[in-house]
Amino acid sequence: MAIGLISALLFLEGVLNLLTYILRRVLYLIPMLLIITFLVYLGLELMPGDAIDFMASPDTIAMMSPEDLDNLRETLGLNDPFIIRYFKWLGQIFQGNFGYSLSTGVAIKDIVFDRLPATVELATIALIFSSLFGSLLGVLSALKRGSLADNALSIAGMIGVSIPQFFFGLVAILFFALQLHWFPHGGRTLPGYETFLDRLPHLILPSLVMSLTMTAGVMRYARTSMLDSMNKDFIKTARSKGVPEWRVNLVHGLRVAMTPVVVLIGFRLPMLIGGAVVIEQIFQWPGIGSEFIGAVRSQNVPLVMMISLLSVSAVLLASVIVDIVTALLDPRVKLD
Amino acid sequence: MKKLISLLLVFAMLFSFVACSSTNEKTTEASNSGTNTTVEDTTTESTTETPEKPVADLSDPRVRKAFAYAIDMETLVAGLFEGKAITTNSLTPASDEWSVDGLTDYDYNPELAKQLLEEANWDFDYELDVVYYYGDDQTVDLMVAIQAYLDAVGVKMTFRKIEGDTAAQLWTPPTDPVNGPSAIDWDLAYAGIAALTLHDYYGRFETAASNNSHTPTDEALDKQIEITNTNADLTAQEAAFGEIQKIMNEELYVIPLYNQQLFIYESDRVDRNGIAYGNEQYNYDWGITNWNVEARDGKNVLYTGGAPVEAFPAPFVNPGLDITNKLIFDRLIQANASLTPTDGMLAESYTLSDDGKTLVFEIRDGVKWHDGNEFTAEDVEFTINYMGKVPTLTSIAKNTIKSLAGYEAYMNGEADSISGVVVDGNTVTLTFEMLDPNALVTFSQWPMLPKHLLEDSDPTLAEQNAFWLNPVGTGPFALTEVSFNDFAVFERNEDYFIEGTGNIDTIQMTIGGENEGNIVLNAEAGYVDYAFGKSVPDAKSIEQISNMNVVPVDIRYTRLFYVNKFPQK
Repeated sequence: MAIGLISALLFLEGVLNLLTYILRRVLYLIPMLLIITFLVYLGLELMPGDAIDFMASPDTIAMMSPEDLDNLRETLGLNDPFIIRYFKWLGQIFQGNFGYSLSTGVAIKDIVFDRLPATVELATIALIFSSLFGSLLGVLSALKRGSLADNALSIAGMIGVSIPQFFFGLVAILFFALQLHWFPHGGRTLPGYETFLDRLPHLILPSLVMSLTMTAGVMRYARTSMLDSMNKDFIKTARSKGVPEWRVNLVHGLRVAMTPVVVLIGFRLPMLIGGAVVIEQIFQWPGIGSEFIGAVRSQNVPLVMMISLLSVSAVLLASVIVDIVTALLDPRVKLD
Repeated sequence: MKKLISLLLVFAMLFSFVACSSTNEKTTEASNSGTNTTVEDTTTESTTETPEKPVADLSDPRVRKAFAYAIDMETLVAGLFEGKAITTNSLTPASDEWSVDGLTDYDYNPELAKQLLEEANWDFDYELDVVYYYGDDQTVDLMVAIQAYLDAVGVKMTFRKIEGDTAAQLWTPPTDPVNGPSAIDWDLAYAGIAALTLHDYYGRFETAASNNSHTPTDEALDKQIEITNTNADLTAQEAAFGEIQKIMNEELYVIPLYNQQLFIYESDRVDRNGIAYGNEQYNYDWGITNWNVEARDGKNVLYTGGAPVEAFPAPFVNPGLDITNKLIFDRLIQANASLTPTDGMLAESYTLSDDGKTLVFEIRDGVKWHDGNEFTAEDVEFTINYMGKVPTLTSIAKNTIKSLAGYEAYMNGEADSISGVVVDGNTVTLTFEMLDPNALVTFSQWPMLPKHLLEDSDPTLAEQNAFWLNPVGTGPFALTEVSFNDFAVFERNEDYFIEGTGNIDTIQMTIGGENEGNIVLNAEAGYVDYAFGKSVPDAKSIEQISNMNVVPVDIRYTRLFYVNKFPQK
């Protein structure tokens, strides 16, 4: 009875510990977010020119009278000093008003919701594919260390990690779209498309390029970390206790080896919201990433800020989740 | 963790401090631009003080001609611009129907340049201050080349990009338009003029022009410009513009460098039926209803670029630059390939009185908006009033509306509408307070908008109106489907009032308009049947694609050196 009560209390304490830990981590996010958004805003401010420079050709702008320019700046709210503009923006965000695109006046909320499905679709496929294959190949390569397969995978991994995504993407377009005509060269949909199957051909090339380059990273991580954990004392102990080899590998070795891999994958989660800037740009994919590039180029401050805020929140949340999952996976990590 | 946060906070505070002080500097600069220039002047004085030489004199035409002779534009065009530009001796391109013959060419002649500089007693120690506002690498390359050419005749120059309020730094006129001194601090300004009418080229050299920072009063020139501004009669305008071109060439008030071309990209699938190519950046009779396209998968689809990213571009700044606006909307008056107003369009006919102060439109019967509503004279009245309050409206259209009787009263709220616009049945009568030489041009470029969809909206936020998510017009093609940042589809308007013999049923747009690398990729993949742009690298790449043709078109776009002929303080 007393033992039961004590263990229940201990369990409760554990849960409470976890909850306070999560709460504390989430509260930490608020100052972090403020600082980062401020720095992004500052970065945009330090770029030469402003949104007006991108609304018409330089010749047109060079001919606009100072009064006209000033009026336009006033309408767009660009005349206030930097600090005031930042706090105005922040105030609006706290009121749930995400603002309007400077160039077209479309509500940023609408733009984000419109682009999000495309980004989520591409990123989900790439994440699942790269995580599964990356871990699998990495672990296999570690277990068969020194074999032909391991060497081949290592070389492929090195190539995958070192070739930039944009180059890989361009080569893929050149061969598979322009030469062989197997897949469309870009875009996500065409008129008349209704189902996912209609869109599938458009999805294959970008998601494959993104998946493959991401797989390489996971694979190399998984291999190193698996090798590392296989040399640990507890593995030797398990072996000496006569635990079957597969159990040593999968239960004892893999569980610990997966921790850094989970960290890597966790930090890739924000891609679901932030988009893959390079891939989306190359494949004319109408997602958050390509929108972000356009917004930065045209100094569309409210849009850049909103997308940054979303991505940064996602990154920070992901880091919290990674910490919690690491704690659950690795018995050595203490919640503190 | 805590350490990290406090560190970041310190950084942020530091940054904000720096940012604050830099914005403060900006505002003081802007508010005391007068004092600012004096500060700069004292510094230049102190450096030029010691030699005690006369300040170089750009008001001497021999000096300006020497610069023109010193620069080998032929070679630069062939090399730097890969032959995709045209050297010019005038702001008006030679192919323009309003250009004049018999102008001096100032072809490359460094010996003559040196001789002229000697004669003019040029101060060879003086360093020319050359400015520009373009951010591209080609501009820098051109500046480096010109620096070398001028150096070869002994003239020193430095160049810099103007940042911030370019207009104020470039065009602030001096208080005394005859003797100066100059209110700006540069010697030569590399710039471009995109002209819809020749007024855009030459109006800025008049004494009274609010942007004439560079050219002291020339009475003969002023007189001719006056004629172009006060005559509705096109032949009188043309004659005066001819005189202006001669004066500008004789005095070389600016150094014209080259004309840019526009490139029309067409696939082999398209047959334009011999319709003349014009300046696609504006509206003219391009006859798209007469174009034929080879069927693909059994459908007569024309592929093009320019699908909207966030919303459809509104036509106030550039009425014809975007293909979407050409498809969706119509104008009251049609223009030909040289952008000269010709027949009525949405107006069955129009008449301009001899004094140019009364313009009467007879509105076409039976025209329908794409949503089925009738297009009426009220729409015309509405559009003119609406445009009057749109802040981004370009100067040509703005001047037309400003010239209407009752514009002031309308703008300051004394009247609900411009009294100079009167509707009577199918007739719209415009009465002008003062003559506007470009009234017909305005109504041949800026489209008519639907009153029933816009009347309750705020014209000062016209560009941000939700109407631009799904624009409705009377034009040859109607928007049927759009996926922003992806594609847009237009179907032929079966009720269109201009009968066409062409077979295009559908126009499908991918994203990637002018100056977007996508246009080349999309063309390579077969998704461009028609598009246009000004980028030389794009044109070069598309030329290489086997089923694509590149048609260069001469347009009124000229790059030049403005010369500051006022003495520096």
